[in-house]
Amino acid sequence: MNSLRLAALPAALLISTAAQAAPVKIGLLETLSGPQASTGQTFRAGVRYAVDKINAAGGWNGEPVQLVEYDNQGGPAGASDKLKAAIADGVQLVVQGASSAIAGQITEDVRKHNLRNPGKEIVFINVGAEALELTGEKCNFHHFRITGNAQVRTKALVQGMKQAKALGSKVYAINQNYSWGQDMEKAIVDNAAAGGYQVVEKRLHDVNKIQDFAPYVAKIVASGADTVMTGNWSNDLLLMMKAAKAAGLKADFGTVFLDQPGNISNAGETAIGHFIAHVFNGEAGGAEGAKFVSDYAAKTGRAPVFVEAQAVFALDMVADALKRTKATAGALDVNAFARAMETAKIKTPMGEMSMRAADHQVLLPLVVSTVTKDAKYKVDGTDMGFKPVKVFSAEESAMPVQSSCKMQRPS
Amino acid sequence: MRTSTSLLLGGVALLAALPALLTAGLLNAAVQMLIAALFASAYGQLAGRAGMLSFGHAAYFGVGAFATVHAMDALNGAGLLPTPLMPLVGAAAGLGFGVVAGWFATQRSGTAFAMITLAIAELLHALAPQLKSLFGGESGISVMRTPAWGFNFGSTTQVYYLTLVWVLLSLALLYFHTRTSAGRLTLGLRENSHRLRFLGYDVHRLGVSAFAISGLFSGVAGALQVLANESANYVVFEAHVSASVVLNSYIGGVGVFLGPALGAALMSFFGYAVSDATQAWLLYQGVLFVLVMMFMPEGLVGLGGAAARRVKQLGASRAPPLLLLWLLAVLLLAAGAVFLVELLQRLCSQDYRALARAAAGWPPVTMFGQSWAAVGLATWIWPLGLLAGGGSLLAFAQRRLQMKEAQA
Amino acid sequence: MDTLLFGLLNGLIYGLLLFMVSAGLTLIFGMMGVLNFAHASFYMLGAYFAYTLQGLLGFGPAVVAATLLAGGVGALVERFFLRRVHHHGHAHELLLTFGLSFIVAETIKLLFGNFPVDYHVPASLDGPAFTLGSQQYPTYRLLMGAVALAMFGLLYLLLTRTRVGIIVRSAIYKPRMVEALGHNVQLVFMGVFGVGAALAGLAGAIAGAFYTTSPNMALEVGVMVFVVVVVGGLGSLGGAMLASLLIGVITSLAVSVDRSLADALTLVGAGAWAESVGGLLTLKLSSLAATLPFALMLLVLLVRPQGLLGDKT
Repeated sequence: MNSLRLAALPAALLISTAAQAAPVKIGLLETLSGPQASTGQTFRAGVRYAVDKINAAGGWNGEPVQLVEYDNQGGPAGASDKLKAAIADGVQLVVQGASSAIAGQITEDVRKHNLRNPGKEIVFINVGAEALELTGEKCNFHHFRITGNAQVRTKALVQGMKQAKALGSKVYAINQNYSWGQDMEKAIVDNAAAGGYQVVEKRLHDVNKIQDFAPYVAKIVASGADTVMTGNWSNDLLLMMKAAKAAGLKADFGTVFLDQPGNISNAGETAIGHFIAHVFNGEAGGAEGAKFVSDYAAKTGRAPVFVEAQAVFALDMVADALKRTKATAGALDVNAFARAMETAKIKTPMGEMSMRAADHQVLLPLVVSTVTKDAKYKVDGTDMGFKPVKVFSAEESAMPVQSSCKMQRPS
Repeated sequence: MRTSTSLLLGGVALLAALPALLTAGLLNAAVQMLIAALFASAYGQLAGRAGMLSFGHAAYFGVGAFATVHAMDALNGAGLLPTPLMPLVGAAAGLGFGVVAGWFATQRSGTAFAMITLAIAELLHALAPQLKSLFGGESGISVMRTPAWGFNFGSTTQVYYLTLVWVLLSLALLYFHTRTSAGRLTLGLRENSHRLRFLGYDVHRLGVSAFAISGLFSGVAGALQVLANESANYVVFEAHVSASVVLNSYIGGVGVFLGPALGAALMSFFGYAVSDATQAWLLYQGVLFVLVMMFMPEGLVGLGGAAARRVKQLGASRAPPLLLLWLLAVLLLAAGAVFLVELLQRLCSQDYRALARAAAGWPPVTMFGQSWAAVGLATWIWPLGLLAGGGSLLAFAQRRLQMKEAQA
Repeated sequence: MDTLLFGLLNGLIYGLLLFMVSAGLTLIFGMMGVLNFAHASFYMLGAYFAYTLQGLLGFGPAVVAATLLAGGVGALVERFFLRRVHHHGHAHELLLTFGLSFIVAETIKLLFGNFPVDYHVPASLDGPAFTLGSQQYPTYRLLMGAVALAMFGLLYLLLTRTRVGIIVRSAIYKPRMVEALGHNVQLVFMGVFGVGAALAGLAGAIAGAFYTTSPNMALEVGVMVFVVVVVGGLGSLGGAMLASLLIGVITSLAVSVDRSLADALTLVGAGAWAESVGGLLTLKLSSLAATLPFALMLLVLLVRPQGLLGDKT
């Protein structure tokens, strides 16, 4: 499939330069191989569905939008190389979401490229990297974050768990020792007053290196905490939950990535009663949510999982901005697109999503759900699913612009 | 002029002309290939000539990279060290760290030496994310190239020429080193270090110097990567970076000076080209490693020598058809294997399985730009046929070769 | 007191798990000098075989079958791959096993997908064994420890009390002499490799149910196993046991220690200076828990390169 798309590029370029109408090229620069490929491939599935939707609605400027896929081979160096390849291929919108480290590399590379090549700018659409610095110190006019971040997720999680009366008075914060985990830890501490809890202990551990979480669970038990809040993902979350169950820890988990495929089936009944703050829950979207799920299932054979829905919403915002950007000499003027993107607003089954021009962080509704057996949509082939507890609108979940963001706008 | 010199000059001329011949994307890939080639040559110096198998060479590459990134940050525009001379910082850092690490590591030999180098690299990799001021956390440290000497170093072409000049200079220095007496002595380290000691040489000091020189040029390679990517990230200390330089060197062949460089360039290009074409590219890479190790122990440079030997053995008229036959057999086998792997990858993927469940059947798959039925002879005859054809052709070629050898 | 006890118990069990995986590697390493990067892949294969067969045979028989299958794959790898490159030197063997580890991991990803699979402990074994203070200790962890100890006991008896064991041990020290005495050393090598792989497969089948079974399993355990083998001494079973217990206990207990070098320096009055310097000095031991084994390995290599219980050759 890729070779066809890539082979079509030179042909398309030739034809397009001759006809003076250049189609928009969206480059997906994801982790498609190696240890973290599972998340990258999930983003790809969502983006592919969304681009097909854009083209079914007519594309842009009478031409279908082209999706070109690049494998960043799991690291920032590979991402840097493939970004240069994408730029050489004529890609104007770069999409990525699986890793904050790679997003950090891409946003800086995009900034430097735009500095050096005025008139040939590119835009980075961040669909999943949630490190705060991307809309903080590293905020950049040509970067748009269309996903949550540690602050908004924690705020929603705390309020949601409080409403479900599952938030105790003693919270244990355990996170991974890198920017995302550190952001989560700070957010958990900052929300203590609003949540009415006390953070009994904070702990940071090595990322993806720990097999045996029993010592950490022992510390949680020793601290007497009745709730555990964590931003852990993948193995770090799953192993911790399994270790907690093995030790008989009777605490509820407040998480952000519990809906990663494989977590619920592996954790089994242990997962029941744990909470998650995520972007999409079909059951919470009413009739529109059900329609979204059934449309997705008709195309791909299954309901959207994990980050697929948020990738679709992100590309829907891009489509909204594209619609309001007129062609300049047959091609897309990226700065005009970025200005349109700054005022993008769409309606999703969860509520309204809009872009905040000050730091390019999207204001999006969040859902807090809990794992039960009587959820409408079952996951992982088990009899369990995520039942929504509360939906927070974009205004309710928003957090203020970070003071470290000093965005430089083109004139 | 000797053939080898004219070949060399021709090669350099080709490299110099590449920006005019390649697209921007491929030119950037060429920059990465050059860097990988230098790193592998530095490694080959240690592993091939001195016989010391190091498993943690990423440490010196990474130290050179971070030293350069900090120098670029600190001397940004101050004019103290212009951009083209930045790799000197990487060289100094690589040399310094190489001396320190080498002093400890070369006290042992063989497996213990290898494990020490592995431990050093793993320690650095584990400590780096904790020391944010030095290593920048998981998004690394980002800098920009400052203009110098009339160039602004904004385009890939200028970066390419900068990299090319440094790589050629380093390779020339490395080659020059092998011609000096110190360089020849490192061969002695590999052959028989006991005898060398009896001859009165300080074997430990020789080992440290070989290690340090390897570290120096690894540092230069790291610095060049920082100049190309304008950032350094602690993932450069990962085990797979150390592993890939070992693999590249041995795939190219450590017996010849340019062997590791060739292997690194090819594998770097392979990764670049194939990673976007197929999802199973790591599998193909693994298969390639195994096949080269098993059937081409001298590396790819050994292939040329083996072919030349066949020609000499069998005569110029009888050898080429046989070699072509062998080549065709290998191509058929490869095509059949690729077909099978790609088909399996599509049939076993989660997305396909979901579609199959929803359709309660076996929907067709898209491969190589066409639609193929999931079950049915029309699809499966291809891989089976290619593999069978390639296999029988290979067996035939082997038998002919044995017959010819018996006759000759 | 409870935390210390639990910490020790956790560390010991984790160490025993490491031993299960590294027992085979140290024998292979000691005998053939092969740095087998694919060893952790047998661990992963054992887990996936057991997962596939669990539905057909039930948990126990699936674990046994997985062990035998992993051993079979190991024997095949030795016979058809390693034997070919043995005479080219250590580098080639090592790179071959490295390539094989890639192939195994990618084939598993091809067939089973990138996400963890649902291989879990059967309900009958899934309960607490005892409660100490406010924490439960799961039965399955004790079972893992018991299997590891049984494995150690059996191997030890096999190596020291049986004829086969004597031949294997002599082949580790003087393979040529053993060959000259008329024993089929090739068969011995293949057998040792197969048994080593089978042990790793057993470890995977058992641990995969308790931890996660995913295509990244091999990477997670892989490097730690090398550390164990190096620290313990190549070819020494007792060394592997000692080293794995040591590493297990250190990593487990370190998690509870929230002190750093700066705190230690406070005792001599240099605390404030250490805090101002920052960097390495203020790193807490608990966040370095996963790094300590490498520091230990480096220390052992510099001070006693043959390992804790290895023999000086």
